[in-house]
Amino acid sequence: MKTSGDVLDRVTRVPGVRGALVVAATDGLVVAEHLMDGVDGRAAAALAASLVGRLARTAAEAGLRHPAFVHLRADAGSVLVAPGKDDLVLVAVVGPEANMGLARLEMLDAAGRLG
Amino acid sequence: MRALEPWVVEPLQTFLAESSARLTLLMTSSGQVVAQHGFSRSLDVMTAAALGAGIVASTEEIARLLGASRFGGVVHHGMHQSCMLSGFTTPRGRWIGLVVFGPETSVGIVQLFFDQMIEQLVSAAPREHVPAPMLAENFESELNASLKALFGR
Amino acid sequence: MTEDIRSLTARLAEEPSSLAFLELAEALRRRGQLDAACKVARGGVSRYPGLADAHDLHAHILGDLGDLAGAFDAWTAALQLDPMRAGALKGIAFLYYRAGDIVAALDHLQRAAQADPDDPSIQVALERVRSSVRAQGSPETNGGAAVTPPTLPAASPFEGIEGGEEGYLLVDGGGLRLGGALRSPSGEETGDRVAAQLAGISREAARATRILGLGAWHSISIESPDGQLYLAAPTADTVLLTSRDRAIPAARVGLLAERASRAARAWLEGLG
Repeated sequence: MKTSGDVLDRVTRVPGVRGALVVAATDGLVVAEHLMDGVDGRAAAALAASLVGRLARTAAEAGLRHPAFVHLRADAGSVLVAPGKDDLVLVAVVGPEANMGLARLEMLDAAGRLG
Repeated sequence: MRALEPWVVEPLQTFLAESSARLTLLMTSSGQVVAQHGFSRSLDVMTAAALGAGIVASTEEIARLLGASRFGGVVHHGMHQSCMLSGFTTPRGRWIGLVVFGPETSVGIVQLFFDQMIEQLVSAAPREHVPAPMLAENFESELNASLKALFGR
Repeated sequence: MTEDIRSLTARLAEEPSSLAFLELAEALRRRGQLDAACKVARGGVSRYPGLADAHDLHAHILGDLGDLAGAFDAWTAALQLDPMRAGALKGIAFLYYRAGDIVAALDHLQRAAQADPDDPSIQVALERVRSSVRAQGSPETNGGAAVTPPTLPAASPFEGIEGGEEGYLLVDGGGLRLGGALRSPSGEETGDRVAAQLAGISREAARATRILGLGAWHSISIESPDGQLYLAAPTADTVLLTSRDRAIPAARVGLLAERASRAARAWLEGLG
């Protein structure tokens, strides 16, 4: 098992990732963070956890199991979320230039090591 | 939603819309109600305001005894609903927010938009008027006037 | 004129921008002066279009006046501002019940119960609707059609799109299905339940990307072990959900969703 710090280091090494956080999903509070300047970790934690909670309920109503990965795309970047164990979720804020395929694989791998 | 002063309405309305809070009470540190949303009985507001002001005063005193600056806020988690109490400084003096929320939102969301509301209140507060300290003999009538404005009864 | 109405009227006259219109309209409604109540509430709605309380009260008054379609629109407006507003969910549930759409009535009551688990009237209403479902043996039929929810052309927005109607769901801001159909991996129809969960999702995604400085949102993809979902916003007020098996590459699902989104936008524009 890795510490939250190790997990975040791996994700933030991916080019284009501006910050990564381990978040308590139910409360939307930061557990650990590794952020570049200008990324509001508290807002990212609360907003990403809230959105993913709603998407998990949507998936459940559609007869699907809990999401393993969520990608919110926007004009100037994306928010990536990978739920882990014990009510923890891994959240990354990435720029539009990021290699999304690599970021996704690192997030999935890192989320599996959380908890 | 009811507010004693119109400049409080917009920040509180935004907070309610963004946070999905069920009940919100804004009061002065002495427990005088400034605005409320979700309470239907004036008795509940009076009790909540008095208790909330007392809890915040107690925690701030504990912080002082421990040599810490003020605590950021107090959150009580319940099975069906939770409660956040937080003091903050405005140009009109020290105020307290009491927010009750359910599982449809989270403490992170409530805190995020509560802080945003504080910023908006601070910038919206008229600077020209500073209220006089409330005198004990006026307390009852001030309270009744506030409740009448907040409930229209 | 009673004293409370007189003093509220005077208060509103003194300060037209105050929220006293809410109390005045409610006081007039309780006294049965519905036309006057409606006028006051309408004035309040035009002054405070972003205030869910105003739309909610306006809807109540319209309902009392028998303008059920107007009440439906006003409650829908309240829900767009506050998707978990129990009063508006209850009101719309009642209108659906009156219109004979028991499934939609149940959906809205369940959301109301989620929003306000402590309101016993919602539990009573839920039990009443459930017992009519049991009595009829089917959620499909019920007598009078007192309200007509927004009418749409018969044609599907997804005609000619790969996969057709199935696997696409077009939802309005209030969580109501505009078109498409969705089945769970086990074959159960889940469209209305999923649509209800999507009420306000566009607003929430927009809020997240705005606060995080990422600009406007385009899409959300959700990977589950059993399948994948893709959300896009054909218009500001609607959300399109595309559902596909995990075997289909994620990027291809995105392309399918974008095509369906364009079709949905054209279809919505065709409604005028």
